[in-house]
Amino acid sequence: MGTISSALSLITQGLDADQAALNTVANNVANANTTGYTEETPNFQENDPVNIGGVSYGAGVTETGATSARDRVLTERLDQQQQLASASTSRLAALNTLQALFTPDSGSSTSTSGDIGSDLTGFFDSFSSLEANPSDNSLRQDVLSTATTLAGDVSSAASSLNAQRSALDEEASGVASQVNALTGAIAQLNTQIQSTDSSGDAGTLEDQRQQDISQLSQLIGINQVTTEDNGLSITTTSGQLLVSSGSSNQLTTGTVGGVTHFFVGTTDVTSQLAGGGGTLGGYLTARDQDIPSALNSLDTLAYNVSTQVNKLNNAGTDMAGDNKDAGNIFSEPAQVAGSAAAMSVTMTDPNHIAAAGLGEGTGDSSNAAAMANLASQAIVDGQTPTDYYSNFVTTLGSTVSEVQTENTAQTASVTQLQTQSNALSGVNLNDEASAMTTFERSYQAASQVFTILDTIMASVLNLGSQATVS
Amino acid sequence: MLILELSSPKCLGSVKGQRAMLESDKLRLHPGLKQLLTEAIHALARLDADRLEELALSCHALNRELTLFDPERRALLAQQAREAAAEMVVFARVLEATHANLSVMTKVRQLHNERLEYAEPPGRGWTRTESGYGHN
Repeated sequence: MGTISSALSLITQGLDADQAALNTVANNVANANTTGYTEETPNFQENDPVNIGGVSYGAGVTETGATSARDRVLTERLDQQQQLASASTSRLAALNTLQALFTPDSGSSTSTSGDIGSDLTGFFDSFSSLEANPSDNSLRQDVLSTATTLAGDVSSAASSLNAQRSALDEEASGVASQVNALTGAIAQLNTQIQSTDSSGDAGTLEDQRQQDISQLSQLIGINQVTTEDNGLSITTTSGQLLVSSGSSNQLTTGTVGGVTHFFVGTTDVTSQLAGGGGTLGGYLTARDQDIPSALNSLDTLAYNVSTQVNKLNNAGTDMAGDNKDAGNIFSEPAQVAGSAAAMSVTMTDPNHIAAAGLGEGTGDSSNAAAMANLASQAIVDGQTPTDYYSNFVTTLGSTVSEVQTENTAQTASVTQLQTQSNALSGVNLNDEASAMTTFERSYQAASQVFTILDTIMASVLNLGSQATVS
Repeated sequence: MLILELSSPKCLGSVKGQRAMLESDKLRLHPGLKQLLTEAIHALARLDADRLEELALSCHALNRELTLFDPERRALLAQQAREAAAEMVVFARVLEATHANLSVMTKVRQLHNERLEYAEPPGRGWTRTESGYGHN
């Protein structure tokens, strides 16, 4: 879990990241230098135009004032932030579902995947109980019962993760058709806008195109390049061309390794789309990173617990007084991958539990003690089983928290840009200056709040700074 | 609960200062830092400069009074600081995004003004809403 010092460290990193933010700004401003951005165009209300002789006329279309380059850059910045916010929103939703799987349900009378931690404890404790009275049949039955509960909850969790992955895969696959519909529409609008006579206006068409771009930004991460004739090229954030003037490249799908992959032409862009933003980026990050990571942790846990317990039981003496039937308690996994989904109890007869050591009589319980001691041995990736599981859940919680923080900040940034956009719509330069002043005042005041609170927090937590900021 | 007492309210003479004092009074009655940060995050998202300036003055007041806190109050504040760590990180991120957003807007406005100053009048059949070109 994070501490206050690590939180303050993050804050420092956040301030250091100003330079990275400025680089982003530099890219945006570079775009602002292109003709399409600096050219002023009239601003029209949202009526469909009627095209006569290559000139657009719109019933009720009225000029509401000059729209400066500012609006396009602001819109692009808004789209950019929207891509990030959409990605973290969809990823966060998937992570919350994932986390819920591993959260104990205190109201449930039956064991669930959220109880794996207590299942582990219960399973190893049952060997401790057996150690005290190795010939007690009910205690032997209890070992099998707790083993069944553990295996059932682990395999249930793995099944749920696989089901969630399939659901995300389906959602992701569905995004492709939405993307293609939008890029096709944008290409068509490009053609219409570029064919508009210079004496006409394409204001409404440009508004439509902008709306389509905004929708596209919520789906995937894109870059926009405005061309001199008011056309627009759109690429994925990794540079794959989706729209160029009047033509669009389809995003196609295919199954690779059991999941949907995405292609532009013959190039597999799945991993680039995962990191590119938009809803699809969030889905793919959860599908290809978060869920496989959780599955791998469960597989590792299941593999090591199963193999270690089986190994010991195979090396002991059961209630028959020999080693002949002292076989596996759990199904023996062949490899780590898939161990969690396949985890089950194969032993049906509790008398086959080898509580006694090899060569010892049935009254001995040294092997039961050895199996109970597995609870405190580093048998799973250098950790005890319960520590390993606990760390897995903690790491998952940290990831959820981190993505929640990202999402809150990105959503705030989107709100801020929308606020600014509303403040600037259809205003004159004096109002524009006023809106900018408000923006600057807000930033300055917020910076003061942050700086003072940072100092106060450091002071009260004795982190070395002395309070009183002038 | 955070208990803050402003011993020198006279230092906040302006109306805004009085409002800040009220904010600080609120802090005296309610759990402070976490709530303050949440409010600051929302205000910054809305670009509510007035509210943010009030909060900044409240923080100044809190900071001035901090040296007068007894160990018990400092311990309470330290507890609040720990509980507010996540909000502080979010606030830092929003501030960072705001800086980037503001930089974009500032630079574009600069370019916009330069263009108004030097550009040829447009010939596309529409008129500016401004009275003329050049400095505004």
